[in-house]
Amino acid sequence: MTPAISVTGLTRRYYDEVALDDVSLTVGAGTITGLLGRNGAGKTTLLRILAGQEFPSSGSVRVFGAAPAENEDVLRRLVLVREDQVYPDFKVCHALRAASFCYPNWDAGLASSLLKDYGVRAGKAIKGLSRGQRSALGITIGLAARAEVTLFDEPYAGLDAVARQVFYDRLLADFAAFPRTVLLSTHLIDEAAALFENVVVIDRGRVVLDAAADGLRGMATTVSGPVLAVDSFTAGRPVWERRGLGSQASVVMVGQVSGEDREQARSLGLDLTPLSLQQLVVRASGQSAAADSLTERTRA
Amino acid sequence: MNAMINVARYHLVQPVLFVTLPLAMLAFLFAVNAARGGDTWRNGLAVIFLYFFIMGVQRAGGRWLPFGLALGVTRRSFYAGTALLGVSMSFVYGLVIAGLQAIERATGGWGLSITFFRVPYLLNGPWYATWLTSFVGLSALFVYGMWYGIVNRRWGMLGLLAFVAVQVPAGIAVAFARTWSGVGGPHPSLSALGLTGVVAALTVAILAGGHATIRRATV
Amino acid sequence: MPEMAGLDEGGPLFAQVAERLAGEIAAGGLAEGERVPSTNELAAFYRINPATAAKGINVLADEGLLEKRRGIGMFVATGARATLLARRRAEFTERYVLPLLTEATRLGIDPGELIALIRESSSERGGVAV
Repeated sequence: MTPAISVTGLTRRYYDEVALDDVSLTVGAGTITGLLGRNGAGKTTLLRILAGQEFPSSGSVRVFGAAPAENEDVLRRLVLVREDQVYPDFKVCHALRAASFCYPNWDAGLASSLLKDYGVRAGKAIKGLSRGQRSALGITIGLAARAEVTLFDEPYAGLDAVARQVFYDRLLADFAAFPRTVLLSTHLIDEAAALFENVVVIDRGRVVLDAAADGLRGMATTVSGPVLAVDSFTAGRPVWERRGLGSQASVVMVGQVSGEDREQARSLGLDLTPLSLQQLVVRASGQSAAADSLTERTRA
Repeated sequence: MNAMINVARYHLVQPVLFVTLPLAMLAFLFAVNAARGGDTWRNGLAVIFLYFFIMGVQRAGGRWLPFGLALGVTRRSFYAGTALLGVSMSFVYGLVIAGLQAIERATGGWGLSITFFRVPYLLNGPWYATWLTSFVGLSALFVYGMWYGIVNRRWGMLGLLAFVAVQVPAGIAVAFARTWSGVGGPHPSLSALGLTGVVAALTVAILAGGHATIRRATV
Repeated sequence: MPEMAGLDEGGPLFAQVAERLAGEIAAGGLAEGERVPSTNELAAFYRINPATAAKGINVLADEGLLEKRRGIGMFVATGARATLLARRRAEFTERYVLPLLTEATRLGIDPGELIALIRESSSERGGVAV
């Protein structure tokens, strides 16, 4: 099956820096993929190129098998929600009307229901909206467009944790009812982790990790307790980090933890805490060796 | 085609700015002229032409473009749709000017000898000539403004300066080749309709230039 | 992290979903022939990706514990509960008895004492099945 998005050797250079460096990835149709990484890693540039708003310096970008830039057939089926979206001197309802012209699957009922959830009045001028309300408008347009490829670039500026949860819930609900390909860029990984089928981590313009989310879960565990017990438990197993304080030690151990392992740990009086997806991603961003070993293990 | 029409509808989501405002402006200027009486302010109509230029700058180079691109409109369609809308507006306003001119003639200057809608040399002939000249003139200024807006979007202030600088020699050459007696003064060998033809040709050239410039614009 | 109704980061989510469904079947909460929640219902409940929920269901279906009825959904297969209970009995020794012995040894409780403790606790409970 043709992937919805296919990027090969994508590079984007500006005068003084390289925003994307030989990026290759594919996104399968009907999946939710997390695009993760630090601020300035290149996630925004990638999304803008996918949406035809920016142009590649070299490499190939295909959405629905065709290059998206200046391509009406592709762009009609794609929506990008940006954090810093600029609007003309519109009211909220004007923006929604404009969107309804451009998206064949536009659902006005969903749009007004979302606005209601967020407490944004349709008659309010956009320039008078708070940051959070602007984000809510962006999210509304992104979801109500029901575009086959829906791209979100950190769409929750100014939204508190409760409002963000509303977004995740609504996204999931509408995705379940109307499947589409979603690429969500975020640095609040743990909040959204359960949504992702796959994650792609970008660091300094390069892809450092590209794996199934479930494959990563449980890949590394923090083992803590008395030094001797920790050392005996982790003997012979790959370790990322070791810390000690007096008679206590804490070690990050790589590899899945089995039932027997858990029993052994309990009997030794050790505490086992799996690394969250966010922690795994942080590691991958910082150390490409760690990332390589993660990718290897999930492929196996 | 569909995309162009969507762009036009997009611009017309708020019809006020595109429709009502120019009419209001026209009425206001006319009222001012009427108050001052008679012959003194012939160039009032020029402000409408200037307004079309400004609309072109705003519609092409302002915030309509970023949101349009966000909604999946291509730059080509955006440009074509915006230009189409400007030209259509020019068509209509040309008729309005020609119509009001006819009334002005018939009423002897609105009973006050006002020549607001009759501009010597340029807009003084039969109604269809007035319409054509207005239509072409407004269109030209609109798409010319569009080009400025796009140049600004792509290259900012520096780009604008360069853009103007490049046109200065051409402007000087034109001024040198003609003898004007004030704006609207007669050209030795070019009738108003002939001038309209030249401007129409220029408009086509400007359309091509603006289109080429928008193709790689980013927002 | 949003409370995923008890799912955690300790391992693949799909496996945990399968575990929980199996637990419900074993405990009798889901009777044989009863419809299992749909992929979308599970996804909404756990706040996870529907594909993950689907994978969890498929694990159980592959093991013959669930059967698909076209157009209607997934149902608990006949004999599923029996299979699961048998499996858990087999695991019981490894999961509970051995660790119990290990801990008892650590605390210096010999098997005889251990049996007495078990009898005591059982009668205190009044033999009520959990």
